Amino acid sequence: MSRPVLAAVLLSVLAVIGTLLLGRFGAYMMHAVAIAAIGALSLNLLTGFCGQINFAQAGLLGVGAYAAGLAGNAGWDLLALPVAGLAAVATAVLIGLPALRLRGLYFAIATLAAQFILEYLFKFAEPITHGVSGLLIKPMTVFGRPIQADQGYAIVAITLLLATFLVMHWLRRTDLGRSFLVVRENEVVAKGMGINVARTKMLAFMISGFFAGIAGGLIGFTARLAHPESFGMSLSVDYVAMIIVGGLGSMPGAVLGAGFITLLPEAIQRLGEIFHISDQLSALREMTFGLLIILFLIFEGRGLSAIGSRLVSARGWRTRQGGRAEPLELQKIKSSQGGLE
Amino acid sequence: MLMFTLQLLVAGIATGSVYALIALGIVLIYKCSGVVNFAQGAFVMLGAYLTYGLVKLGLPAYVALLGAMILMAGCGMASERLVLRPMMKAPLVAVMTVTLGMLILMKAVCLAIWGPDQLAFPRLFPDGAVDVFGIFVTYNYLAAFVLSICLSVGFLAFYQLTPIGLMQRCTADNPRAALAIGIHTSNQISLAWSMSAALAGIGGALLASLNGLSLGLADIGLVAFPVIVLGGLTSLTGALVAGLLLGVLQALTDGLLTPVAEQFLRTYTSIYSAGALQQVVPYALLVVVLLVRPEGIFGQRGTERL
Amino acid sequence: MALRARDVSIRFGGVLAVDNMSLDVEPHEIVGLIGPNGAGKTTFINCLSGAYVPQSGKATWKEADLLGRQPHELIRRGVVRTFQNVASLHDLTVLDVVKLGQAVRHGNPMRQLRDMLRSERARDAELIRTILQPLRLAEVAHQPIQSLSYGMRKAVDLARALAAQPQILLLDEPVAGLTAQEGAMMSRVIRDVRDRVGCAVVMVEHKMDVVNATCDRIVVMASGARIFEGSAAQVQSDPSVRRVYLGEP
Repeated sequence: MSRPVLAAVLLSVLAVIGTLLLGRFGAYMMHAVAIAAIGALSLNLLTGFCGQINFAQAGLLGVGAYAAGLAGNAGWDLLALPVAGLAAVATAVLIGLPALRLRGLYFAIATLAAQFILEYLFKFAEPITHGVSGLLIKPMTVFGRPIQADQGYAIVAITLLLATFLVMHWLRRTDLGRSFLVVRENEVVAKGMGINVARTKMLAFMISGFFAGIAGGLIGFTARLAHPESFGMSLSVDYVAMIIVGGLGSMPGAVLGAGFITLLPEAIQRLGEIFHISDQLSALREMTFGLLIILFLIFEGRGLSAIGSRLVSARGWRTRQGGRAEPLELQKIKSSQGGLE
Repeated sequence: MLMFTLQLLVAGIATGSVYALIALGIVLIYKCSGVVNFAQGAFVMLGAYLTYGLVKLGLPAYVALLGAMILMAGCGMASERLVLRPMMKAPLVAVMTVTLGMLILMKAVCLAIWGPDQLAFPRLFPDGAVDVFGIFVTYNYLAAFVLSICLSVGFLAFYQLTPIGLMQRCTADNPRAALAIGIHTSNQISLAWSMSAALAGIGGALLASLNGLSLGLADIGLVAFPVIVLGGLTSLTGALVAGLLLGVLQALTDGLLTPVAEQFLRTYTSIYSAGALQQVVPYALLVVVLLVRPEGIFGQRGTERL
Repeated sequence: MALRARDVSIRFGGVLAVDNMSLDVEPHEIVGLIGPNGAGKTTFINCLSGAYVPQSGKATWKEADLLGRQPHELIRRGVVRTFQNVASLHDLTVLDVVKLGQAVRHGNPMRQLRDMLRSERARDAELIRTILQPLRLAEVAHQPIQSLSYGMRKAVDLARALAAQPQILLLDEPVAGLTAQEGAMMSRVIRDVRDRVGCAVVMVEHKMDVVNATCDRIVVMASGARIFEGSAAQVQSDPSVRRVYLGEP
């Protein structure tokens, strides 16, 4: 087993143990972070690996939540989550068919439009979504047995997070994963090399959508409610912030970013209570969020993962992940001894 | 029926002209520095709040308006110098996100100072309306329209006819070449941002006089995007025309399409309300435009050479 | 198994970049395409490789239409090209790029599935042995192409093209930017590839000594049109060729 995989499995086991030991609030935090991490990994695939900016992530999560809620309420048990994933894939296809023909900026604006259209549909497709009152969702059932406790959801979320991480780790090392990276770097070169750019982007969108749907389904089950207000533009921005703060293109970064952004409001809440400024709490939270995004992007563009690897390499360890090579300085020495000489 | 439609048109043209003003700012920044400024909506909102604040301090309405415009120009320049300049070499997604960060920050600051509720915006224009062949045009609408059009046209004139405008156009067209012939491109970019923010600020004050003052003004910035895609991201005239078109489209949707749609829905489905259809229509239109003619009405298709 | 191009023309705005260009390439032959700067050589190759769509003309490969097709379709039919400017592709390694070159050959999902299940190491080893070794790139297989010299990056681009199992190779200035030594090496490599793989080669180039050493036949372009064709010796002594390169006598 390669090092990142081993690390991921170990961390998941630790997380599960931690969940069982922590109280209810700790378990709640754990599952909130795990679900956000699945959503962040999903967005990282599309935006970090394949370079397509997506502002419709909240809409896709919403589709997952509503789909899982409807399926779960109808008694589909474990199938509710895959159904949520597939519903989100279908939505991604609908968005992608027109939008993926567009480059960079225009694609981003198209996803912006898609996000608002989805929000509108959540509010007004009342027979399906129950509109502004929201869709009540019964607890998730596994083989007929409902999951009631936060601990239970945390364990489910952590397990699914591990699965998501492993799938993405594998994907990155396949030909498809490599084509994502080339498309991100330079679409023109990718096309010239013979990569079917349109199909590659669509596949990235679909796979990303599937995991967004799963995350959305989990959000629905844990909140027991799917509500249009919960899946608005600000949530999309949250997810973009997660992958940027974590480090664009880095999977551990996406998980770190998810943790950071999810726990931030809680931290502010505590600070506010300590300094007795509770009445301005939401303004303070937003201010910190905005300021953090700006400062992170200006000063540490490569996110938390870069800070992390700097700490790790400072201790003399070098990580060798599948396909990744050693520090560049070392290679420049080696490369002068190969090739056409 | 006709009168009703014409009345709608009046409202649409008035709001549309303000949209045009805001969109002009976005296109200006995009042409000059290649950045899509998602924070434009925040400039709109901030301009309105600053006007309100200055009036509250005792300044007469028009002085407050002018003062807000100047303050917004400063704000735009500060944003460019402090936030955008360090990000010059960053990838597109990072730059877009940093402007979103500014949007969030400015909204939060306004929330902290003025609170979440809607406020009564000071009267900028006299009450009453003008009767034009049976259609009532309120002084508010009239003033908003006239001011926006004057500012927009004035700005376009400045851009096309003055020496500084020429420098702006050079910088927008080819920053490297502009630098090579001695234009101080970074100053030009700062100028673009400050003008853009000033225009947005006035737009905000005008919108607040039409619709009331609240944090929701910031979301107008996002409505501007369908406008500029429709007009062509690189065309100033396009922004003007598309803004007007979109204002009219929204008004007509609200007045004509929504009742029809609701009638239809109520007859055939159990859905009662069509909701804020006029807010979604611009985005649906955006999708159509992107499909059919992504470069917009006035924009130009880009070519790449291998 | 031949390439036949007839009267291909492409215009960019007011500029006629390629003017009724015709070219025949027989199996196994190496054709050199030379001419002064701006002659339209690369533009012509771009038309043949699906990067540009010419306004007029006809071209066939193995009797099937060539113009206006997508690059990934053409690669599957065996028409593969290299690039003049080799892009730096972030942290992708030499082996990543070569594997991609191989992957685009097969759009067939069954083959892709089989590849995915096969051991990564076995596939790597085979690629290193068959493609990288002959190009002396085996030692740098796991290094990011970002860290390699320009000359080596061009070799990697050629490796990428070879991994796609070409039946005709369109090389865009393969020795531009290389030292004399590297150029001579590349020339030997190209002839070796033709002998081993059996593909035809069209080579756009400026350096006459490399062209002379490598090509069986040379076609000269100027101002978008073909002005001469012949062997190396014939090209050097033809007055019209001398005129476009050296100006009026």
